[in-house]
Amino acid sequence: MTSVVSPEWVLKVNQLGKIFGGLSENGLALTGPETGSSKDPVTGAIVAAWNVSFEVAAGEALGVVGESGSGKSTVMRCIAGDQSSSAGSVQIRTSPNEQIDVLSLTPSERRQLRIDKIAVVYQDPAEGLDLNVTAGGNIASPLTAAGWRNFSSIRSRASELLLRTEVPLNRMDDVVKSFSGGMKQRVQLAKALANRPPIVLLDEPTTGLDASVAAGVLDLIRGLLEEFGLAAVVVSHDFSVIEMLTNRCIVMNHGRVVETALTDQLLEDPHHPYSQKLVSAARA
Amino acid sequence: MSHSINNAEHVVLDVRNLRKHFVLHTIDSRIVEALNGVSLKVSAGEHVALAGTSGAGKSSLLKSIYRTYKPSSGEVFLKLDDDSFVDLISLTDSELATLRGTQIGYVSQFLRAQPRRSTFEIVTKAGIQRGMDSDTAKQAAAYSLQRLNLDEALWDVSASMLSGGEKQRVNLAAGTISPPRLLLLDEPVSALDPVNRESALELIGTLTDQGVAVLAVFHDIDAMERLASRVIVLRNGVVDYEGSPQETLARLEGVAR
Repeated sequence: MTSVVSPEWVLKVNQLGKIFGGLSENGLALTGPETGSSKDPVTGAIVAAWNVSFEVAAGEALGVVGESGSGKSTVMRCIAGDQSSSAGSVQIRTSPNEQIDVLSLTPSERRQLRIDKIAVVYQDPAEGLDLNVTAGGNIASPLTAAGWRNFSSIRSRASELLLRTEVPLNRMDDVVKSFSGGMKQRVQLAKALANRPPIVLLDEPTTGLDASVAAGVLDLIRGLLEEFGLAAVVVSHDFSVIEMLTNRCIVMNHGRVVETALTDQLLEDPHHPYSQKLVSAARA
Repeated sequence: MSHSINNAEHVVLDVRNLRKHFVLHTIDSRIVEALNGVSLKVSAGEHVALAGTSGAGKSSLLKSIYRTYKPSSGEVFLKLDDDSFVDLISLTDSELATLRGTQIGYVSQFLRAQPRRSTFEIVTKAGIQRGMDSDTAKQAAAYSLQRLNLDEALWDVSASMLSGGEKQRVNLAAGTISPPRLLLLDEPVSALDPVNRESALELIGTLTDQGVAVLAVFHDIDAMERLASRVIVLRNGVVDYEGSPQETLARLEGVAR
């Protein structure tokens, strides 16, 4: 009856969970937003994330919102493979014939995925970059991992990326630790995009930057998401970041998803008590 | 101007018994009723103006149709390209997101755009998003910005540097370029001086000639009189009465006096 077509997902997260420690028999019922804690009162286990599901299509950015400790970074790290997960599945589909069940991959296969399928931009540039290596060298690393061997093509690809992310080319051969915070994030973006991955995960990409610098980086990110048609997951506690980059969101509280909404709807008509508290705090 | 074509075959928007209430968990779970069962239809090429005192539910209705507010109950049917109707309320968030911009547009009082993007780019991009090729979009953007008297010196300037009235004109240009079949307008000329307001109203008037179904909120009666084919007056979140601009607006003015 309806001819509205839902866009095809590129990244699908289904009932993802991550628990630190051994859960008691009723551990799940004893944790979460209703109990106000993610800690199992019996065993002390932490339910960092539980039953998290969402899909992201190409050209779409999904926001993951919540206070620190709500589990949003855990979800991102489980998808990226920085952390193992306790339950659920993560699938990526980059073409109709290629579907990958991420959580069933071996560690080396997962590392491979990070080279050209899933890129991550971290809040702390030290996590995404080798600060003692030059900007060019940092970008060269995913390129050589993907099989690039010719020095001059690597140089030219690196300059192309730095140009696109607005890093002055005369800084290409400087070690990254000499860069300002905003410029480090731009190098991280250049590195993340080196092999044109279809999926990018952004964890608080502008937190800690000066407002004016953050605005520039945000603007750059938004341009890149549009230009490359990336499927993006943006983790942030900052609603201005979420509003600018995403059109849909999930809200997390004590490891659970408490609300799923269009971004403008979350900001103007939040439903869950926790979302209302978050939005009104941000608007105050 | 054009008059009401309330022909069932041309209906683009069919709202049935739409209700919206807010539960304010931060204030003792207080319930605020915004819409208490609104039903209305808007046809292609028809401009329906929503009137009523502030708090009557005009903006809430527009936002509930666009789903910036999540309706509590009721149905909002929108006609699609293949003449089938879809209930916007029953769509998933991602399905609705694909309809926004292409099939249903919302122009508010305020411009929301990337801070560093130029005004010309904002309008052009809106056209491209609705299926224009790049050259056509550029021509249409230039035409529309000229029509709205936006000084050409401001076209390559980032929108964040513009005045309120200039931003509002950019917003209107972006919202009306290659217009979607249903356009929701929420006080789109509120910040404009008389001269610019005049050009903006003229531009809005051309939408109906292009077959767009328009549902609009203006605070001034003069704008409604000029543009509306039909006026629907809301009161306490329901339709109070409706009719031609002549009969309804006289009644409204009577109340105002």
